[in-house]
Amino acid sequence: MNLKLALFKPMLKLAMERTGHGAALGFEITRIGFGEVDLVFPYKAETVGNPLTGVVHGGVIVSLLDTCCGSAAITMLNSSAVTPTMDLRLDYMHAAKPFEPIYVSAKVYKNTSNVIFCRGSAWQDDPDNPIAHCIANFIRVETSSVSLGAIVKRRVGRLMRRKNQQGSGPDE
Amino acid sequence: MNNPKVQFDKTLIEARQSNQPQLIVDLIPYSSFIGANAQIDHDDIVYWLDRRSSNIGNPSLPAIHGGVIGGFLELCASIELMFHSEVIQPPKVIDFSVDYLRPGRYKTIYASCEVLRQGKKLVNVSASAWQDDSGLPIATARCHFLLQ
Repeated sequence: MNLKLALFKPMLKLAMERTGHGAALGFEITRIGFGEVDLVFPYKAETVGNPLTGVVHGGVIVSLLDTCCGSAAITMLNSSAVTPTMDLRLDYMHAAKPFEPIYVSAKVYKNTSNVIFCRGSAWQDDPDNPIAHCIANFIRVETSSVSLGAIVKRRVGRLMRRKNQQGSGPDE
Repeated sequence: MNNPKVQFDKTLIEARQSNQPQLIVDLIPYSSFIGANAQIDHDDIVYWLDRRSSNIGNPSLPAIHGGVIGGFLELCASIELMFHSEVIQPPKVIDFSVDYLRPGRYKTIYASCEVLRQGKKLVNVSASAWQDDSGLPIATARCHFLLQ
């Protein structure tokens, strides 16, 4: 299990930070444990929700907490499964301060055969005085499409196709 | 003239008078970050989210990030409120809840909102997102706003 977690940590970090919306937001995952994930989001002017105050939009907090809770849920998996979000509820305790980083941490508080229950919170100065708190539930869906073998096979297939296209490129 | 608050109020009023919710959308930087738009259709506002690679959550499917869908619905709910009521600044969100019903495929997402109750202090707005068919929502959300 420890070896698996050691291999799995950089993969999860890379997948969350470098692709799609994670890359667009530009956060950094600072800790991955068994059922626990922390991340930090540096202030980003493009994500402002209130142009009068410069405070980031609530949607950013939703994305950060969803990512953090989702990552924590993934660490609970020991088979080829995916964990789509079922629902997420967020309470905003106070407005975030502009121009300062936001820290997010998430924890799985109950793991069952079908559902993974998570809690998350976002804060700036004091973890005991959070900006927002959330609960997010994830459903466990068994699938073979995310096994390491299937991912490698897909990657190789994509690479081969690209190579073939490049090879026939100049004739077209 | 260059006072941002004055400019903000002016744009809000102009958007309401000219029936152009897109003017309010353009006020908020986060809208262009995720690619949100709004337009009046039969007296209601229809919102849509452009298909773009920076909104992907799961690259292997690919599917839109759940957080983006949630953020988009929260944005729609606040624009609905700013467009239809007399609020003069971005309303404060107290809580937000989203249920994910279907995966968000890598294409345009549409949304519509409804103000279910507007009190003196509290407003409840519901929002729904869909892709091909408005009868098959991919997510629904509800949002409470505090009026200042």
